[in-house]
Amino acid sequence: MLRFLVRRTLGAAAVLLLISAFTFFLFFSIPQDPALLACGKNCTADAVALIHRNLGLDDPVPLQYAAFMTGIVTGREFAAGPCPAPCFGYSFANDRPVFETLADRFPTTASLTVGGAVVFLAVGLGAGMIAAARRGTATDKVVSSVSLVLSSMQIYFLGPVVLGVLVYGTGLLPSPSYVPLTEDPAGWFTGLLIPWCVMAVIFTANYTRMARSTLIEQLQEDHVRTARAKGMPGRTVFFRYAWRGSLIPIVTIFGMDLGSLFGGAMITEFTFGLAGLGRLAVDSVIDIDLPMIMGVMLFSSALILLCNIVVDAAYALIDPRVRLDAGSSA
Amino acid sequence: MANDSRTRTTRTALAALAALAAGSLALTACTGTDSDPGPGPGGKDAAVQQKAVPLGDEAASRGPAPEVPGASGGGTVRVHQDADYDHLDPAQIYTADGGLIASLYTRQLTTYTTDEKGRKVLVGDLATDSGTPSDGGRTWTFTLKDGIRFEDGTPITSADVRHTIERMYAPFVTDGPSYVQQWLSGDGTDYRKALPDGPYEGDHLPDDVLETPDGKTVVLHFRSPQPDAPFALAMPAYGVVPKAKDTREKYDAAPLSAGPYRIASFKPGRSMELVRNKHWDADTDPYRHQYVDGFDITFNHSDEDSTKRLLADTGEAETALSFTNGVDPLQTRKALGDPDARERLVQGYQPYVWQMNMNMDRIKDKRVRDAITHALPNRRILTLNGGAYAGEVAGGLLAPTVPGHEKDFDPYGKLAEPDGDPQRARKLLKQAGKEGMRLVYAYSNDEIRQRQSVVVADALEKAGFDVQRKELDAGTWYSQLRKVDNGYDIYMTSWAQDWPSASTVIPPLFDGTQIQDGASNYSHVDDEHVNSEIRRIGAITDPVKATKEWSRLHRYIVEEINPAAPISYTRQIQLHGSRIGGARYSDTLNYIDPTRLYVVKG
Amino acid sequence: MNAPAGAAGTPEPFLSVRDLRVRFSTEDGTVHAVDGLSFGLERGRTLGVVGESGSGKSVTALALMGLHDRRTASVTGEVLLDGHELTGAPEKKLERLRGNRVAMVFQDPLTALSPYHTVGRQIAEPFVRHTGASRRQGRLRAVEMLGRVGIPQPARRVDDYPHQFSGGMRQRVVIAMALVCNPSLLIADEPTTALDVTVQAQILDLLGDLRQEFGSAVVLITHDLGVVAGTADDVLVMYAGRAVERGPVREVLRDPQHPYTRGLLDSVPRLSSDPEEPLVPIPGAPPSLLVPHPADGSRAPDGGGPLRGCPFLPRCAFSGRVEGGDRCRTERPVLPAGRGAACHLTERQRRTAFAEEARPRPGRP
Repeated sequence: MLRFLVRRTLGAAAVLLLISAFTFFLFFSIPQDPALLACGKNCTADAVALIHRNLGLDDPVPLQYAAFMTGIVTGREFAAGPCPAPCFGYSFANDRPVFETLADRFPTTASLTVGGAVVFLAVGLGAGMIAAARRGTATDKVVSSVSLVLSSMQIYFLGPVVLGVLVYGTGLLPSPSYVPLTEDPAGWFTGLLIPWCVMAVIFTANYTRMARSTLIEQLQEDHVRTARAKGMPGRTVFFRYAWRGSLIPIVTIFGMDLGSLFGGAMITEFTFGLAGLGRLAVDSVIDIDLPMIMGVMLFSSALILLCNIVVDAAYALIDPRVRLDAGSSA
Repeated sequence: MANDSRTRTTRTALAALAALAAGSLALTACTGTDSDPGPGPGGKDAAVQQKAVPLGDEAASRGPAPEVPGASGGGTVRVHQDADYDHLDPAQIYTADGGLIASLYTRQLTTYTTDEKGRKVLVGDLATDSGTPSDGGRTWTFTLKDGIRFEDGTPITSADVRHTIERMYAPFVTDGPSYVQQWLSGDGTDYRKALPDGPYEGDHLPDDVLETPDGKTVVLHFRSPQPDAPFALAMPAYGVVPKAKDTREKYDAAPLSAGPYRIASFKPGRSMELVRNKHWDADTDPYRHQYVDGFDITFNHSDEDSTKRLLADTGEAETALSFTNGVDPLQTRKALGDPDARERLVQGYQPYVWQMNMNMDRIKDKRVRDAITHALPNRRILTLNGGAYAGEVAGGLLAPTVPGHEKDFDPYGKLAEPDGDPQRARKLLKQAGKEGMRLVYAYSNDEIRQRQSVVVADALEKAGFDVQRKELDAGTWYSQLRKVDNGYDIYMTSWAQDWPSASTVIPPLFDGTQIQDGASNYSHVDDEHVNSEIRRIGAITDPVKATKEWSRLHRYIVEEINPAAPISYTRQIQLHGSRIGGARYSDTLNYIDPTRLYVVKG
Repeated sequence: MNAPAGAAGTPEPFLSVRDLRVRFSTEDGTVHAVDGLSFGLERGRTLGVVGESGSGKSVTALALMGLHDRRTASVTGEVLLDGHELTGAPEKKLERLRGNRVAMVFQDPLTALSPYHTVGRQIAEPFVRHTGASRRQGRLRAVEMLGRVGIPQPARRVDDYPHQFSGGMRQRVVIAMALVCNPSLLIADEPTTALDVTVQAQILDLLGDLRQEFGSAVVLITHDLGVVAGTADDVLVMYAGRAVERGPVREVLRDPQHPYTRGLLDSVPRLSSDPEEPLVPIPGAPPSLLVPHPADGSRAPDGGGPLRGCPFLPRCAFSGRVEGGDRCRTERPVLPAGRGAACHLTERQRRTAFAEEARPRPGRP
């Protein structure tokens, strides 16, 4: 396990280094000058030069990159004050430490993705289980067709419709908002309920279909028949044997979905006016805010990579045949 | 207040594009509200707006502000905002949304009061009156009131005012206006040489520039007469910063309040909470109130979202509004059609004038410029800007918010022919012998401008021009145009005054001595009469007289030179919840005035 | 081999199957996989069920366990286990019997065990469930069973996962799992087919030993007459979903009465046979048991089997000897009670025919 963690962490670090270099140099290849966004009526050449100096854009790009990357590990000194590690610098747009903003936005995105994932896993896998357990019946057909319809929905279509009906129309639910879980658990829950459900819709159908098909496959496995031949009741057979076998493909797909989950969170944040990392990512690009772009990219990539490692480690828990420390994890 | 809304517009437009790229439906542009005969903008408010703003005396500058009829204290106002604030440090504020929020937590030497009839007066805010000029308007003396304090309870002294001005010389202050600094220490960015580090390394401006003989007196010695000094000092950028609590760059995140509310929390891009500042004394403030307990501001509400919530007017939306979001153009008709919502609308002129600049280095024949002016379909361009409620066709280049604006001034018959007069244009072009003339037309690549470019090019082709469209990147649009040798013939820009005087419109746009890279004389007007008039009128100390003269110069520029075809004046239409009281449009803030708001007991 | 004393003299055998029919509906029609099978089995005895693949052996085994999916399979007829009717019994009742009084050993030990649970848990599971023992007791029982089926160091291996065992060891685990509740009836479906030849012998010996030890009745399903020869008391030969011959194992092997049985014997390699001598497989393939849906969409008439006449006819070398011309084509032969074969040939005709066609089989009396 230790060797696995070391190997994967090194791999992730390499990926992050590549992403950071790519983002950084890509930024300087776009013909947009961040100074011009901060430069109002007095936008003379002198003023632009001053802003450039303030933003530290006068140094050669590789030097800036090196300073940025070392700053993440060691911290940096700025005119505005010290920036302790992990230092992603100060935002061009609002002159605040990037990490502070990331730390502020992260709980929103985390709540959104985790909550959304819980909803779509619970609903999607639950529906898939029901369909598999009753395969061939009317229930199965209803579940399958509903999931097909839902899978063609989009957040930005469903979001305003749900808002229009549940919030503006009937006032059944409050407008989506983020309140920290620690401050007001009930507010956190009701505020995020609509975003969770809407976000879950696009993922649910996929998991329903997958759970159904892998479960049906698993139910035909010999070892499931063995379990029945041992006199195990249907429920035990279903969960302890068939379901257990279905977990591997589901976890695999879930691991692959982590990236799109973040993308889904981004669209959801926009649809419901929530301030999370996804929104920050888009805003930072619009603001040509290099430190923020780098911060968001690295932070979210690191999170996704971390989740991937966790998912891979989860294989070992689910399937005793998987040996993490072996050369291949098959 | 805001000079041009470039930063904001760019950001909003790009945000819309990004949202589209992400697959969202967040469209900002709209169609379909053209030729709506509904209750359009009236001229009544404009008539009030065009008078010169008088300078108030000590009595006019005394607090408290007259009670808002029906107002009562308590309650919290929920505020839905689109984007958060780029800056909270007053020195860096130069946008309308920044100015509006600053009105709640900063105070300047001067400010405006507006009575129930809409008459504005420039009065002393921290100062006892609007200032005393001497030395032919070169020197201005201000005396601070008693009882003015920062939120930590420390009294505001002349040293703080000195510090406020001096810190604007520091290199980190780049976004705010520089009128006062330039008048004191040098044109362009030369003023920075007078105090390269600001006040932070122990250097100060000499007494013959900025003098604080005692704790209550501030004397500004300008290099030339500046009759507009009290107006410039009313800009939010000159809001007072405590010398003892200045944290330089970091002040931007947590400024200290001198106004009725202080910032209790600010989470960039997420939320801001304003609560009462108990050290603010209503008796010192002729303008602001402190009716509500506080403001709960949340960001990331598009116009569409905030309008929907306010139209629904359920639950917490009853005590909600948006400081700067307008009514979503697609929902304007609904808002106007609903009698209940209609009562909750607030509207007024914004200071922006859209104009089609004609590069006079390249189009030297006035008849060609006139032909272009006649050809342009103002109404159709305006419609694409956001519908009939987003503005009205302009006849001149002074906005209705600028004293000196003349409602019926329309030398090119744009009000009569809002869709353009191609025959007349063609005739003029023929007279000039320039039929089939090639016009390089630049526009930015944001969605609205792209759609307008089709309409514009089409109308000009009909008038006999050979239009070559040139699309420029929205982010660098203005900086490309600010190059003297930009290579384009026509381009549409907007301008707004910094305070209610043509002195912040005509000189920056039409002063021929200021043609240089980065300057805002987009049409490159260089006319001897105009140049000398700008000097002469700029020195007139009587606002009423100056207004009359600016108005005359404006006529001359439009009629005799025609450097830019007037397109449209802009308007703002906003909505508030049913339990919000005291909502009134402010044409110094260009939005609903937040200092008058109260919560109607539910 | 004799029946245990307790069961002697009872009129009903311990396991009695009568007119068992298993049908699967498919999109194309109905497959009559088992078509009127009857047999009986006494306690402590082993019945070998022999036939080619597709003859209905495994379907029969699953039917005895009640393991067919009720949505797709229709099981009719009578299965009496110690007087309890099993066909049509509620699932709850079957669950109580399965793994407890009736247990099953499957063909492929590689797939028959769940890869996600330790062998100990899988062995203990039915024990805990059926006897109400604690998990701790279940574990001890699992260790005991592992030892009994000959797995070295059972206390240590009880917590291993199936993939940590070899194929033969895994089959021992499966057997341990089947026997953990001392079942009265053990159904072994091709228990050695997937194993190496040497391991096959070990497993068969083990089954034999355990049967003696536990006194279970065993139904041993195989396509391999060689396996039956060493293990079973009686033999039931199945072809096309029906029994075509039955009798005590020695008699059937020495003196097959059905041409199919004879064919099977010819295709079995023997240790004593000349390695140079080629085996003779039965020419042709078993018939399809599918009855297509009638073209008009109506259901096939019930009770009508898929075949008229003798299903073995196309592959039979002796049909010409049957008197009465077309009987093999029109009349399905019936298996008589007791020792006998479902064939239209008379006893005498068979003897002559088999003798004439017989190839010299060294070592055969």
